[in-house]
Amino acid sequence: MPLPTPLQGIRVVDFTWVRAGPWAARWLGTLGAEVIKVEWPLNLDTLRQNRFTVPPGVEPGPNSTGQFADTNANKRGISVNTRTEEGLDYVKRLISVSDVVIENFSSRIMQRWGLGYDQLKKIRPDIIYVSMAGFGHTGRYHWYGTMGPAAQALSGLTHLSGLPDAPPAGWGWSYLDDTGGMYGAISALTALRHRSATGKGQHVDLSQMITGITLTGPALLDKTVNGRKARREGFPPGNRTVWPGAEVVNNYRGPIAAPHNAYRTDPCGYNDWATIACLSDQEWHKLVKLMGSPDWADNRFDTIDGRLDHQEEMDEHIEQWTKTMGKYELTEKCQAAGIRAMAVQSSQDRVDNDPQLRHRDMYVPMDHPMLGPWKFQNAPFKLSKSPARIANPPPLIGQHNREVLEDLLGATHDEVLDGYENGIFWPNTMDRYPYIEEALR
Amino acid sequence: MTSANGNPQDGMDIGDARPADLSLPGALDGLRVLEICDEKGQFCGKLMADNGADLIKIEPPGGEACRSFGPFMHDVPHRERSLSFWHYNTSKRGITLNLETPQGQDIFKQLAASADIVLESRKPGYLESLGLGYETLSADNPGLIMCSLTPYGQTGPWRDYVSSDITQMAGGGQMASSGYDDVDVPNPPPIAPGGGNAWHIGAHYAYIGLMAALYYRFLTGEGQYIDASIHEACALTTEGAIAIYLSTGEVVQRHTGRHAAPDMSPAIQFPTGDGGWLNTTRSGTNLTPARLKLLADWFDQSGMAEDLVDERYQDPEVIAAENDHIVQVMKDFFMNSTLMDSFHGGQQRDFPWGAIRTMDEIVGDDHLQDREFFKEIEHPELGRTFTYPGPAMLLNGSPWRISRRAPLIGEHNSEILQGELGLTNSQMLLYAEGGII
Repeated sequence: MPLPTPLQGIRVVDFTWVRAGPWAARWLGTLGAEVIKVEWPLNLDTLRQNRFTVPPGVEPGPNSTGQFADTNANKRGISVNTRTEEGLDYVKRLISVSDVVIENFSSRIMQRWGLGYDQLKKIRPDIIYVSMAGFGHTGRYHWYGTMGPAAQALSGLTHLSGLPDAPPAGWGWSYLDDTGGMYGAISALTALRHRSATGKGQHVDLSQMITGITLTGPALLDKTVNGRKARREGFPPGNRTVWPGAEVVNNYRGPIAAPHNAYRTDPCGYNDWATIACLSDQEWHKLVKLMGSPDWADNRFDTIDGRLDHQEEMDEHIEQWTKTMGKYELTEKCQAAGIRAMAVQSSQDRVDNDPQLRHRDMYVPMDHPMLGPWKFQNAPFKLSKSPARIANPPPLIGQHNREVLEDLLGATHDEVLDGYENGIFWPNTMDRYPYIEEALR
Repeated sequence: MTSANGNPQDGMDIGDARPADLSLPGALDGLRVLEICDEKGQFCGKLMADNGADLIKIEPPGGEACRSFGPFMHDVPHRERSLSFWHYNTSKRGITLNLETPQGQDIFKQLAASADIVLESRKPGYLESLGLGYETLSADNPGLIMCSLTPYGQTGPWRDYVSSDITQMAGGGQMASSGYDDVDVPNPPPIAPGGGNAWHIGAHYAYIGLMAALYYRFLTGEGQYIDASIHEACALTTEGAIAIYLSTGEVVQRHTGRHAAPDMSPAIQFPTGDGGWLNTTRSGTNLTPARLKLLADWFDQSGMAEDLVDERYQDPEVIAAENDHIVQVMKDFFMNSTLMDSFHGGQQRDFPWGAIRTMDEIVGDDHLQDREFFKEIEHPELGRTFTYPGPAMLLNGSPWRISRRAPLIGEHNSEILQGELGLTNSQMLLYAEGGII
């Protein structure tokens, strides 16, 4: 018998779209909550249109993108036109039997629908409402919008990353969509504990941009306590802790250390790199020994100040050595000698070449109705008694209308058929997919 | 009640948000948490402590090694002046305890007997080797939840690998996704994003696992053990990189500050006249005729629209064909504007752009002040208060609160060991001299 899930009995109404919001609800579903995604085909979730993730040979369409699939696994889905009175009424009935409402629209959309917190509370007094707007629901710029890269820029995270004397590198993907999603799940779960303890629901007002600022704490305190200038010589220091020649100050990545860098490895392709970090003199001497105690590694490098003074020379020599072997060979050799090192791993490396992720069942196989045999990302934690699980693929759009409307909300089959005729459960302007017709039979 | 409004567009509209009554208890009020964490887990502890848990941080005598991470207050290195430690250990109480002595182990067991959660980030197997594993601790406290947050988890071929922030970002895929367009930096290396984010990523997921276990305990009364891996958490945190590979076999390209993509997507980060940088997201280069007109009319106000006001640009095909020219007009406009004017001007026209801000712009920001983000935290031993970053989320019914600054080394030894466990004065003396506390 499979183990129970931790969030059994919790129902989540998921109005989210794109990445951060759906990723939040995805984790609640992975922990066993029943997540019902509410969509409308004319305002399609942009991940359903993601141009990069339609596998070759699969017919393109809203049910065929890999990025939507992983971001929305473990949910069920209904299609309802919330701009009709009747559609909105069904949504309210759904909320009345749910625990959590989560959305990432701009700050006043839900109120315009008549679904602001004051109204939600009337429908379900102990409802947990998580809003995930870019700037939040309060504050003078609450109506400003963000996408992940904009939120990263505004939060200060972007400026912390890159090489000195170059533009900010920031993050090459939407870190605050991933992490914004984390905070959506964190908010719901934290509020759930409050409800368990007090019986009370609440509104959690998230701002994607602000969640990023809390991740810059040491830099922020360096400003408020020390008045440190953010734009300064040698900052940000690339992969190093201090840029060669720059003032020795801590640049917010743990202790000042050298070597601390990414080095090319054989055969020097796009992702043939590995990182090495020696956080103490002892660790440095282990590395020297592993490199075969070469002549260049003389006593100039014995101390951290010496290594910082001669960082360029040291890194060049280290790279000559790392280029003589592959990144995994380097990793294994260093780790066997107690040196902090790891290959730079691409997505391909993680899926195909990483023995640790394989051992830990990171990519869980499951069939998807359009994509065929597929892999879904597992939880990065193992709960001994009530583990997370990948239970079902993402919903095809409108896939679970009948079971949710009839079985859960008690609508009659004729009412459902009427709703389809009247453009409440599917747009009259669009053909219905065969699975929808089939479900109605 | 405080108010957080002042939005010039909506008058006094504060929407559905009701700013929290800060006298209310936090969401985790009443929970006792024991934390044995270095830099890897302390942020997870902060999340619990700021949300109201009674968190006791257990450090080795002399304090955790990460107290020696800079920057330091006024650049004077000292284990009580680490700003990094200050940030990651707010709202906690602290005791010192040598867990490698029988007396230290005994004290820890007494504390664990009435704790709700133990969070630890020591090497896999270490606590167990001291007789402080989950089996032992939960024997008399079956509701205990224990989370081990470690670099690679408790099992598998890499379980004993050593790591640091940058090596976790290498293995997790952050670096393979981050770097520069060639036009910005020729032949660029992969860049590990700054700020210690491998630890943040691990902490977020560990917190989620802990909260899930708490709900399960609410339902069943049962505690459990959680084996959380920073490597797996990082591997999950590269947006579309994995889905792209699984879908098409393509690997994402590194580029400057934009969404994950397997091909060279258009640059979206532009310099402004005052030396700043603006991130225009996809919305700056993916223009419909209506949105192009919004930009053209805006640029035209300062005579910078060139020919974009021309009717012929109200045609998607012309926009596509003239993309390079349009981008050049935008760049020229930004170079004749300031960072904040470009940012606000875009937002006021519904473009979700971001100014690349530094702490110089963030500290004191109006919107953040409206949300009472900055908190003045008292350091009574210094007779000073300092401005801290506050709530990452506004829990309006159970506010996030920094209840105190980070603990000094052993600050609460007497309060907890004597006040709660009943150690005598002579025991305290002997334990201090014996290196036990």
